[in-house]
Amino acid sequence: MKKSVIPALVILVLSQVIVFGETTFLSPCVHEDGSFGPCHWAGRALLGLGCVLGALALLSLCGKRARFGVFLSGLPVCALGILIPGTLIDLCHMSTMRCRMVMQPAMILLFSAALLCALIGAILSAKE
Amino acid sequence: MKISSLSLNNLVRKPGRTLALALLTAFLALAVFGGSVIVLSLRGGLQSLEARLGADIILVPSEAQSKVSFQNMFLQGTTGAFYMDASVAEKALEVEGVEKAAPQTFLASLKADCCSIKIQVIGIDPARDFTVQPWISRSLSRELGDMDVAVGCKVEAGMGEIIRIYEQRCKVVARLEPTGTGLDTAVYCNMNTMNALLRAAEEKGISHRIESGDSVISAVYIKVRDGSDIDAVNSRLNGRLRKVTAVRTRSMITGVSDSLAGISRTVTVLIAAVWVLAFIILLLAFALIIRERTREFAVLRLVGASRGMLARMVLAESALCGLLGGLAGTGLAAALLFPFAQLIESALKMPYLMPDAGVVVPLAAGTVLLSAAAAALSSVLAAVRLSRVDPGTALREGN
Amino acid sequence: MSLLELRNVSKVYGELKALDKVSLHVDQGEWVAIMGPSGSGKSTMMNIIGCMDKPTSGEVLLDGVDISKESSKRLTDIRRDKIGLIFQQFHMVSYLTAVENVMVSQYYHSMPDEAEALEALGRVGLRERARHLPSQLSGGEQQRVCVARALINHPELILADEPTGNLDEANENIVLDLFAQLHKEGTTLIVVTHDPEVADAAQRTIVLEHGKVAREVINENFGK
Repeated sequence: MKKSVIPALVILVLSQVIVFGETTFLSPCVHEDGSFGPCHWAGRALLGLGCVLGALALLSLCGKRARFGVFLSGLPVCALGILIPGTLIDLCHMSTMRCRMVMQPAMILLFSAALLCALIGAILSAKE
Repeated sequence: MKISSLSLNNLVRKPGRTLALALLTAFLALAVFGGSVIVLSLRGGLQSLEARLGADIILVPSEAQSKVSFQNMFLQGTTGAFYMDASVAEKALEVEGVEKAAPQTFLASLKADCCSIKIQVIGIDPARDFTVQPWISRSLSRELGDMDVAVGCKVEAGMGEIIRIYEQRCKVVARLEPTGTGLDTAVYCNMNTMNALLRAAEEKGISHRIESGDSVISAVYIKVRDGSDIDAVNSRLNGRLRKVTAVRTRSMITGVSDSLAGISRTVTVLIAAVWVLAFIILLLAFALIIRERTREFAVLRLVGASRGMLARMVLAESALCGLLGGLAGTGLAAALLFPFAQLIESALKMPYLMPDAGVVVPLAAGTVLLSAAAAALSSVLAAVRLSRVDPGTALREGN
Repeated sequence: MSLLELRNVSKVYGELKALDKVSLHVDQGEWVAIMGPSGSGKSTMMNIIGCMDKPTSGEVLLDGVDISKESSKRLTDIRRDKIGLIFQQFHMVSYLTAVENVMVSQYYHSMPDEAEALEALGRVGLRERARHLPSQLSGGEQQRVCVARALINHPELILADEPTGNLDEANENIVLDLFAQLHKEGTTLIVVTHDPEVADAAQRTIVLEHGKVAREVINENFGK
């Protein structure tokens, strides 16, 4: 098994945590009146990016030839995932709210970890 | 080629073994750094609470003397609103032993456009206040004007931003330093602004005022004169003022302080237990490694390595593993503690103020070095035993 | 001139006499084989000559110095400076490449010199395999690396213990050719073996039995 498969597998796992987490334990705020705050849309965007990341990870597992390019594609996706909560899309205005307390730090960490893996994967697959 | 590169070579080319040893020391570092940061944060929160409370005694309406809920305003930021006549502040000043009496008025918004939860609004008299005003002065060089607000650090509103409370437009003129207490989620204004907000709340059908009049306050912060007995003043206030209860702030802090002591003890015991366990496992791990590497060391002895050189090599390897694990463990602890600080504070339900970089960085560095030292120490026996390997016998055993 | 001399050397382990008053000498530049069945004392003699063990009694003179009374540390120094060792099991450091295995020997002797190490590997025909790990080398190649490692510090004596024991015929011949080359250059060789063919490559064979020198056989056909 090539070494570059390992970061691809890690990214796949991270993407699933992002997708599953956004709808469950890492979800944004739930408003009492059922309305959606800005954090809801940030969460949806992150969910979408998680799906893209998962697809990229699967693609990279399919073949060695495309792997380098796929890892490179993952870099801007992860960068976007880091910037969306709180920077590109605003969240609720209280640090004690769920979106800021749970979703934002968790998603930033997960996408940062995926970025690191994509970087390592790109370097390893370039050498192979 | 040096001893350090030999050691490094071994670590890089035996990744499984290196990873296992590094994981153990990472666990150590995680426990030490994580536990220490949590305890320091709790201590910081308590110190901050003491400083923020500022007063010796707080007067509140007797109806508000569900002490727990009043205490929770400061500890957890739960909103509250209770009122008494504003004259209580003047009457308190007349009591023997009272040096200062500063009124504050509380209001809980239904919903500010910044969030779908209630926020606590606290009105102060900037001229008389001695608890909140000094804190506000650190972020704002002038007094709070009408319809100006200073926001606690957890209110995510920028300077100059307009927030609407009961449809009243209030301008953010200061963001306050963190306190680690429930006060971080509050919004502060002067009494004119508070009265405007109270009127606006009434227009929305939320009646806050008491029947006796228009001028209301929620609490009076009392500073006792130097030399006076606080308990005696407390008793006098309780005796002279009707429908008002005097609460010693020390009693609020004692409860938190006791909880903190308990948590601190538990964390310390846990850290010690983790270290003892991990150290034993490291000792065993190195003992197993001896058997695996006897042949290798015999070869090195044969080509001229002295016992001291080999012992140093083993110590260098284990220290490097420890360093690696220390960095990983400390990094992981930091990655969990700092971004999720608010979550931890909410879970602990106690004042929680993270230490600043001046404390965290040396603590992290110390943890990493300690991990490296622990790993090196646990390999001392192995190093000594390996260095005593008889090369001829050891190599013969394989033939 | 005598490089190595054993005078009434005995080694006793409890009740067992591994060597019993053995006396022999090896001259500078000589190629000597030591033969004997299992339990004859070959390994014990190898350990004593190789400064890995000390005799119970008797004298061992290496280059005029009695090493039988030296401390463990001093023996390590002597072994490092004067003797190159080759074993049946190769004994390379598994996480170092071929050239690094040779350089390790230099490191503990003087100073590692990669160019010199590569040259030594070139002498044994393995320069192009310098960056390979032991797991990537065949048995014969590993043994040749060990030969390069043994001679990198230009020792006075090469001591080989069953150097071809784990090799096929082709590799055995390569190693023996290397020994022949070293011998031509003036290196003293002592080869411990149970293989008569390997012993026949030497100038002289000392046969051990039950810890004693049973006989010495001069190889009349040496060099022909």
